[in-house]
Amino acid sequence: MSVFVIRRLMQSIAVLVVTALIVFLGVYAIGDPIEMLISHDASPAERAQVILSLGLDRPLWQQFFTFCWNALHGDLGRSFVFNKPTITLIFERLPATLELTLTGLVFALALGIPLGLISGLKPNSVTDEAIMTGSILGFSLPGFWQGMMLIMIFSVWLGWLPSTGRGEMGSFLGIHSSLFTLDGLKHLILPAINLSLFKLSLVIRLTRTGVRETMPLDFVKFARAKGISERRIVFVHVLKNILIPLITVIGMELGSMLAFAVVTETIFAWPGIGKLLIDSIMRLDRPVVVAYLLVIVSLFILINFAVDILYSLIDPRVRLGDQS
Amino acid sequence: MYRKTLLMATVASALLAASLVQAADLTIGSSTEPSSIDPQFSRTGNNQNIAMQVFDRLLETDTTIGIHPALAVSWKNVDPTTWEVKLRDGVKFHDGSPLTAEDVIFSLTRAKNIPNSPAPFSGNVAAIASMKAVDDLTIEFKTKTPAPDFIEQIGFVYIVSKKVAEKATIEDFNSGKAAIGTGAYKFKSWTPGDNISLTRNDAFWGKKQDFDNVTIKFISNDASRVAALRSGAVDLIDAVPPRDIKTLTGISGLKVFSIPSARLIYLAIDSARDKTPFVTDKDGKPLDKNPLKDKRVRQALSNLINRQLIVDRILEGSGEPAGQLVPAGVAGSDPTVTAPAYAPDAAKKLLADAGYAGGFGITLHTSNDRFPGDADIAQALGQMFARGGLKVNGVVAQPYNVYTKAASAQEYSAFIFSLGNSTPTSATGLRNLLMTVNKEAGTGSFNRTQYSDKVFDDMMRQTMAEFDPEKRIQLLQEATKYVFEDTPIIPLYWQKIHWAGKAKVSYEANMTEDTSATLAKLVK
Repeated sequence: MSVFVIRRLMQSIAVLVVTALIVFLGVYAIGDPIEMLISHDASPAERAQVILSLGLDRPLWQQFFTFCWNALHGDLGRSFVFNKPTITLIFERLPATLELTLTGLVFALALGIPLGLISGLKPNSVTDEAIMTGSILGFSLPGFWQGMMLIMIFSVWLGWLPSTGRGEMGSFLGIHSSLFTLDGLKHLILPAINLSLFKLSLVIRLTRTGVRETMPLDFVKFARAKGISERRIVFVHVLKNILIPLITVIGMELGSMLAFAVVTETIFAWPGIGKLLIDSIMRLDRPVVVAYLLVIVSLFILINFAVDILYSLIDPRVRLGDQS
Repeated sequence: MYRKTLLMATVASALLAASLVQAADLTIGSSTEPSSIDPQFSRTGNNQNIAMQVFDRLLETDTTIGIHPALAVSWKNVDPTTWEVKLRDGVKFHDGSPLTAEDVIFSLTRAKNIPNSPAPFSGNVAAIASMKAVDDLTIEFKTKTPAPDFIEQIGFVYIVSKKVAEKATIEDFNSGKAAIGTGAYKFKSWTPGDNISLTRNDAFWGKKQDFDNVTIKFISNDASRVAALRSGAVDLIDAVPPRDIKTLTGISGLKVFSIPSARLIYLAIDSARDKTPFVTDKDGKPLDKNPLKDKRVRQALSNLINRQLIVDRILEGSGEPAGQLVPAGVAGSDPTVTAPAYAPDAAKKLLADAGYAGGFGITLHTSNDRFPGDADIAQALGQMFARGGLKVNGVVAQPYNVYTKAASAQEYSAFIFSLGNSTPTSATGLRNLLMTVNKEAGTGSFNRTQYSDKVFDDMMRQTMAEFDPEKRIQLLQEATKYVFEDTPIIPLYWQKIHWAGKAKVSYEANMTEDTSATLAKLVK
C-alpha cells in the first residue's frame, strides 16, 4: 500500500510540472494579455507601465521559472485582472461549484441506480423501453439547450423557480452553503438538474448493463438455489458487483463536472469556478488559468486515488501495490 | 352584497397604498462584472459601471458625452500652464467626513501608483506638474506643458477619501471597508461572480435617487440575461442582443431603451506598407505592389459597401451607418462628412482608374466574439467586394483574444475592429487611431495599420494645443474632414446599444455604454 502511495505521489508531481509547462506555453501562444487588459483609449505610456508592472516585459522562460520558484513556495501568482492571489480567487468560487456538482451527482445516483435496476431486471418491458428512451434524450440533447429550456419552462412560463445566480446562504455546523435555506435550494434546483441529466442517463445505462450481465451468472443462480430472497440477491450481491464500473465512471465524471461545469454555470450565472476559467481564458489571465488547471489536476489525482482505494474495499481481489 | 364589494375595494386600495410606500428596490442584470471595487484600479467599462455609483469624479457626462460639473463646480485657466479648480461645497463622504482639496490632490496622486493595475488612470494625470491646495475647496494645478483639455483629463479620475484610502489595500476596497465615496449609492457587499449590492446615500449632494436598494446581478450569457428579465428576476438588463429587440418590444410590461453609441465599427486597411500579406492577384499569386496604398482603391472598397443593408439585415436595425469617428452629438463630429454612399459603378470606375479594372484578391479578417454580428459582417463585406469584381480569397473569423494580437502585429491586410469613444470630444480617438505611431509623443497607440499623414498630424497637434473651446472643436472638425477624405480606415457603422426594463423603470440610454442605477428612475 505505501509503495503504491509513494509511486503515485512521484507520478503526480511529474504530471503537475508538465501541466504547468503546457498551459503556460499554450496561453502565451494564444495572444497578448495587454491587448485584453488595457483601456481602449490608453496612451503608449500607460501600456508600457502595465507591461512593466505585470512583469510581461521579461522573456517567457524567465516568467516560467519565476512562476515555478514561487509555486514551490506555495504562491501560485496573482491574477492580472483582479490583482488577487489566484488561489484565493479559486477557493472563493470552489464552494459554489462543489455544492452544485454534489447535488447534481446525488440526484443522478439517487434516481439513476433505481431506474437502471428496474430496467435491467425487467428488460424489454414497457417500463424499460420508457426509461431507455428517456435516457437517450438525456444523452443527446445538448446541455446548453436543456438549460435554456429549463429556464423557459420553469422560470419564464411557470414562474416557479429562479433562473439566475446563487440564492441566500445559510450556515449549518459551521459550513456556509445555499443548501441550508429555502431560497438557496430553489436557486439550486434548475442548475443541478441541468448538470445531472447527462450523468443520470449514464448511470441508468451503466446500471442496466451491469444488471443484465450479472443476473445470468452462476453465483446468482447458486444464491437462488440456496433460497436467498430475490431482494437480497439484487441489493447485496448483484449491486455490489455492478458498483465497480459505476465507481470508475462516476469518479471520472465527478472530476469533469467539477472542473468543467462551464456551460451550466454560464447559463445560470452560477458564481462557480467553471465560469472563472472560461472568463480567464477569454481575458488571457494566464496566472488564473495555470493555477486553476493545477488545482484541477491535483483534484483528479486525488479522486483517482480515492477510486483505487474504493476498489480494494469493494472487491477483495484487488490488492493495491501488488504490481511491483 | 354591496357591503362586501365595498369591503373588498377598501382592502384592495389599502394593499395598493401599502405597496406604494414599500421600499423601492432595483435589480439590474449586468453583462459584465468589475474586477475590483477600488475605483482607480481599472479604467475599463465594467469597473467604471460600479465605480460611478459609489464614487464621483470632478466632472460627469450626459448621454452624448457632454461634460458637466460634478465634484468640481468651476475651473479657470489662469495662464497656459496654470489651472484653478473650485470644488463643490458641502459634499460628504459616506463616512460623514467632508470632501476637501486634500482628498482630490491625494486621489490624483494615487491614480499613478496603483499596484498591478491593468488599466491605470495614469494617462489622465500625466500632465500634472504640481498641485497646491489654495484653500479647502480650491486647488491650483501646474501642468508640464500647455494642456487645453486638462480638465477633461483629470475630470474623469474617481475621487477617494484620503483618510480611508491612504493605507487601504485592494482587499479593503473589495470587502467594503475602504469603499467610501461621495456617490449616490453606498457600497454594501460584493459576492464575486454573483452580485453587488448597494444602498441609497441619503446625504448625496446631487439629485435624490429613486431606489433604496440596488442589486446588480452578473449574468454574462445573453440568453440568460433576457430570460431573467422575462421571468421577472431582474428589473433592468444591459447589452440586449439586437436579435431580441423585436421580441422584447412585443411583450407588454417591458420596455427597450436604445441609443446609437459612439462605438465605431470599422474596416482597417493596411495602406502604409509597400507589400501586404493578404492581397494577391486574381490567381492568388502575391502582388509586388500594395493596391491598398492607392486612395482610389480604398474609396472604391468603401463605395462597394452597402452600409444600410448590413445594418438592416445583419444587425436588425441596431446600427447607424458611419463616415467618420464619432456620431452627431459628440463634439468633433463634422456634419459634412456623411457615410459613403453605396455606389458600385463609381467604385468600379475608381478601381479601373487605379489600374485594377480586373480586381485583385483579398482576405478579410475579423473577430467572432467581440460584438454582435462581427463574423457575419465580414461575410457580408466579402460578398459585397466579390460583387464589385474583387476575388475574395477568404473570410477568417477568430476569437478576439487570438485575433487582436495578430491584428496589432500587422499580420492582416483588411480587418474589422471597433473603437469606443468615451471622451467628450473625438480628439483622443483620432489621436490614438489615426495619428502617426510615436511612443514618446503618445500618439497612434491603436493605429494598427501604421497609417501616417504629416498634414493631419500637424492639424491634430494644433487642435490639441488650442485653448479656445469653440475654436478647438472647429479645428477638430477640419481635421476630421481632411483625414476621412483620404479613407485611412473604412468606417462601417456606429453600434446601437440597448437596455431593457420592466414598465416601472425608465433608463437613460447613453453613448458611453454605462449601466448604472443613477441613470434609472422609477416610473410614477
